[in-house]
Amino acid sequence: MRTYLKLSSLLLLLFAACASPYKHLHFHEDKSQTALQYKPVYEKQVYRCVVDGKILFKKFHLSGILFFKTMEDKSTRVIFQNEMGFTYFDFKWNGQDSFKVIQIIDQMNKPALVKTLEKDLSIFLLKDLNKPTEKIAVNDGDTFYRFTLSKGYVYYIAHSGKLETIDNTGKGGKVTTITLTGKDTPKGLPDSALFTHHKAHFTIQIKKIQSHVDE
Amino acid sequence: MNKFFLTLLLSISSFVLYAQPKGYQPVNNLSAFQQSLTKSNAAVQTIMSDFVQTKNLSLLADKIKSKGKFYFKKENKVRIEYTTPYTYLLVMNGGQLMVKDEEKTSKINTRSSKTMQSVNRIIIDCMQGTVFHNTDFKVAAYENSQSYLLSLEPATDAMRKMFKKIDVYMNKKDFDVHKLTMTEQGGDFTDMDFINTQHNVALNENLFKIK
Repeated sequence: MRTYLKLSSLLLLLFAACASPYKHLHFHEDKSQTALQYKPVYEKQVYRCVVDGKILFKKFHLSGILFFKTMEDKSTRVIFQNEMGFTYFDFKWNGQDSFKVIQIIDQMNKPALVKTLEKDLSIFLLKDLNKPTEKIAVNDGDTFYRFTLSKGYVYYIAHSGKLETIDNTGKGGKVTTITLTGKDTPKGLPDSALFTHHKAHFTIQIKKIQSHVDE
Repeated sequence: MNKFFLTLLLSISSFVLYAQPKGYQPVNNLSAFQQSLTKSNAAVQTIMSDFVQTKNLSLLADKIKSKGKFYFKKENKVRIEYTTPYTYLLVMNGGQLMVKDEEKTSKINTRSSKTMQSVNRIIIDCMQGTVFHNTDFKVAAYENSQSYLLSLEPATDAMRKMFKKIDVYMNKKDFDVHKLTMTEQGGDFTDMDFINTQHNVALNENLFKIK
């Protein structure tokens, strides 16, 4: 009997951990506010980027420079290169947020990885969000903005009017959490961000680099 | 036969037109140049230099600049230390390679990777001027009144994936490498400008320690 209870408790815990983390919130439509107020507007920004993860029992670590630029035609380019200038990938979103891979090294050119990176960067930059699906909930001083994705949801969580967390959830709970630090103005890019992939077991950490061009 | 010669002539003309870098002429006496280069390099045991690296994102019309220190010690020890705007260290010593970023140190045995061996070798060859013996690249030599230019075109698929070409610029006076330009297939290129170069200064072995 004791074993059964232990097992039940474990299963309950497991179920609770996997369930939607925001199930208890009451989401409703509110046309007076939107998470899109936090969509970053920038000309260009350079970040130091570190990727850490584990595939089976093998750990991996990758570092480099992540470059964001808004082009004159309103398209967005995100380029990741190593410290010596070698490009890992070059992604583009056109003015209508349609995504395209401009360049990627063979080692990273795997559909699942490209899809994950595209989603990470899209939700980070608040791109390609389906506005009519937006619902809002308020809890304990936090405002939760929820958008429906093709699979799951993305939640933008603001505390005291400051966007601090982005959560992508799926059927089994959280898929990715992006923790933002130093997003001091609604339209600004954060000073740093930590992308935690709960299922794929890897993290991407980015930190702003201030001076990167001719001084 | 005439047609053959005409085609050949046109091919050569096109090659010269497109392959010859602006402001440079092919080196007249290649073997004399190679001998002088070999002689000059034989006298160099160590190199210490500051560098400025500029990544030119051609399609974005933008640049990313970083600075650091470069150390080389014969035969095969290299230390590239980025100091601004981020810290990053790359040390090559024999068949070992160490990379240290702000968070982690990684060690790689380059003997297990042909590509890593090639990258390792090309950096040393560029600084030593021994690129003519590197089978991973086809080398063409040019000159103007101040500089020699060695233009390296990848000869293997692995290198072709990484580079479209590498240009090595050397001072005519002392064969010092003062600039490297690494061009990627997409057209982006990275310049490494070497300044305050010193030869044969005593370099502590600890600089090249893989730990």
